[in-house]
Amino acid sequence: MSHRPARRTSRRRPLALASALAAVAALTATACAGPSVGSSATADDEPSEAIDWSQVEPASEITWWSNHPGQSKAVEEELIARFNEEHPDITVNLVTAGANYDEVAQRFQAASQTDELPDLVIASDVWWFRYHLNDQIMPLDDVFEHLEADVDDFQPALYADYEYEGQHWAAPYARSTPLFYYNKDMWAAAGLPDRGPETWAELEEWGASLTEQVPDGGSTFGLSTGPSWGAWWFENMIWGHGGQYSDGFDLTLDSEEAIAGGQFLHDLFHSSGVATLSADDAMADFSSGLIASTIGSTGSLKGALDAASFEVGTAYLPDGPAGGGTPTGGTGLAIPSSKTPEEQLAAAMFLEFVTNTESTAYFSQNTGYMPVRTSAVESDTMKAIYAETPQFRTAVDQLADKARPQDYVRVFVPGADALLNDAIEQIVIEGTDPKTAFESITPQIETAYQENVEPYL
Amino acid sequence: MTTVDTPPAPTAPAPPASVPPSSTRRAPRTRLGTRRRRSALVWALILAGPNVALLLVFVYRPLLESFYLSTLQWNLGSPVARSIGLGNYVAWFNAPSTPTVVTTTLVFTLATVGGAMVLGLGLALLLDRKIAGRGFARTVAFAPYVLSGFAVGILWLFMFDPRYGLVQELLGLVGLPSPQWYTERPWPLVMVIVVYLWKNLGYVALIYLAGLQSVPQDLKDAAALDGASPARTLWSIVLPLLTPTTFFLLVTMLLSSLQSFDIIKAMTQGGPLGSTTTLMYSIYQEGFVNGRAGYASAVATVLFLVLLVVTAVQMRFVQRKVHYA
Repeated sequence: MSHRPARRTSRRRPLALASALAAVAALTATACAGPSVGSSATADDEPSEAIDWSQVEPASEITWWSNHPGQSKAVEEELIARFNEEHPDITVNLVTAGANYDEVAQRFQAASQTDELPDLVIASDVWWFRYHLNDQIMPLDDVFEHLEADVDDFQPALYADYEYEGQHWAAPYARSTPLFYYNKDMWAAAGLPDRGPETWAELEEWGASLTEQVPDGGSTFGLSTGPSWGAWWFENMIWGHGGQYSDGFDLTLDSEEAIAGGQFLHDLFHSSGVATLSADDAMADFSSGLIASTIGSTGSLKGALDAASFEVGTAYLPDGPAGGGTPTGGTGLAIPSSKTPEEQLAAAMFLEFVTNTESTAYFSQNTGYMPVRTSAVESDTMKAIYAETPQFRTAVDQLADKARPQDYVRVFVPGADALLNDAIEQIVIEGTDPKTAFESITPQIETAYQENVEPYL
Repeated sequence: MTTVDTPPAPTAPAPPASVPPSSTRRAPRTRLGTRRRRSALVWALILAGPNVALLLVFVYRPLLESFYLSTLQWNLGSPVARSIGLGNYVAWFNAPSTPTVVTTTLVFTLATVGGAMVLGLGLALLLDRKIAGRGFARTVAFAPYVLSGFAVGILWLFMFDPRYGLVQELLGLVGLPSPQWYTERPWPLVMVIVVYLWKNLGYVALIYLAGLQSVPQDLKDAAALDGASPARTLWSIVLPLLTPTTFFLLVTMLLSSLQSFDIIKAMTQGGPLGSTTTLMYSIYQEGFVNGRAGYASAVATVLFLVLLVVTAVQMRFVQRKVHYA
């Protein structure tokens, strides 16, 4: 009785097993395509056919990967709802793709060469160029022209940030600058004028009277370091001494001026005693009244105004002996190159919408990021806000007066931002001589450039 | 991977499984034995197949692929790469950061494994006593192990805050100033080690507790009759009998410590100044932050070889030295 079923199964099972194994083998072979390998790392540079956008119908559904900068999830959902009033045929799926720019970028890199890519993605100041080097995003100029997007109305410094070789690879969205924050109550108690210091030297002069105002363990000026942060604000100091991280892609950390910038940072912490390192978050120390002033992002303004029990002042970053300047930062939005023209067109329509005058004003007023359009700065909405809370206005004015494009090496060389921050931490935390600190990171930045940038240019 | 043997000839009837093979009829027995072995093989493959398939697709394929990637210079996300042979390995051995990373990994591993073993045994000895609320205490001791490492890291970060944290408060009670846990070397490394220990202590204690409870009571009684002190009993009776447990824990703790990532990511991101960047963390840092996918794969291969050697050495050691029935 048991024989026949047993035999039948034992004849069939190997077959089933063989086909299962074949399936595994197929999965193994096809699951990951990986990069194509050549003797040089340069992609085939055949110019892709220009798309005639007037012949393209927008897709009915697109996906947007965001980290909701400035806790803006509800704001972004509202922007999508407003978009759908104009374009009910295009569904926009908002996906939380990470907690910060880096996480979104890492996910975007990992998903490249799969079908799981979004149609619109966050592209921060230190990431968009890497997307471009990897051929992951498309230039926006043609499609914006087709959509008659008013690109001349973008704040010039903000749109120019995404320009490389005559084309724009992203559009500005949640954009910020570092600001000088000061405690107006302490300023008044110290008998200082109600403004930020015009130069770093002035802050050092004021240090003596401010020290008396801060509680034990506090200081005149507090700063925190860290990746995507330290090497951002330090641009103001190195520029203020006539130096820069790099001239184009050529490292200039060994120049006299750059070292003078490093020496200034060193003395700020270790000689004049004006500055202290905040253990975690300098903005928290500032809001709690432990330090009298600090550098923070525009994006922290709303939080600081809400958290502080004193009156918060905002000012331009101080100048050094050779002038100064402020870097811009934050994120833009980019469209992946591997999507279909239909998806790209729909994404571009949405991108045009979220960066238009009304949308950017709405986004700015709810987060503290700068409006990305000149017309939005002059709009009644923003004027009302600036009248009520003049602190919001500082970033916009500083952008117009002081903005300077970031040094290539920080924003275009993968990993260089973290290495520069390493050197800054050596100087700030350990009191390392700036020349030594800069020399310690130079070979690694050069390797990163040779491996990850040069072959792809 | 080869496919299976041909199926047994359909004409020959298979014997019922319960019939023992006859010792007198030699020839048929061999044939039947062969067939049964084949059938056993088929069954083994059928039963193991799904797991083997999963292992192949999700473990061995990525492993082999990672070996392959380690020979490429590949910017993560780029559609193209360049083959550079062992260049990434040469670069790793010559990188200025490598000695620091290796030292940090050694310190972290020795401190966490050594600390967890010693403290875990102590905790197990405590929990082995007949004290009130023992069950509750055991649960509490084990609970951290099942928590998410990331959440644990974030919570401890608050507690270590040198200005407002619980730790500085406690140190203040005994008149000590708080170290700069976030910024001043070596305190960030000490901080992640403490948190890792706290999280894994319960696991070590639980396994040791099971080991302690399998130590025969009569041996302990005999030692007591011979006048051995409790310390002497522990040293000469209990600890030797616990060697299999100790080696098991040594292997598993060493492997998990070398692979730990979540607490470091949550608390220090490998900083400041790379002082908490272990081998494991540097793989993530190089691959996903710096985009050097080929180089990161090479570091991953180095870590894989280290783990392989550690495991092989320990397995041999365990097999030779640990034979207590």
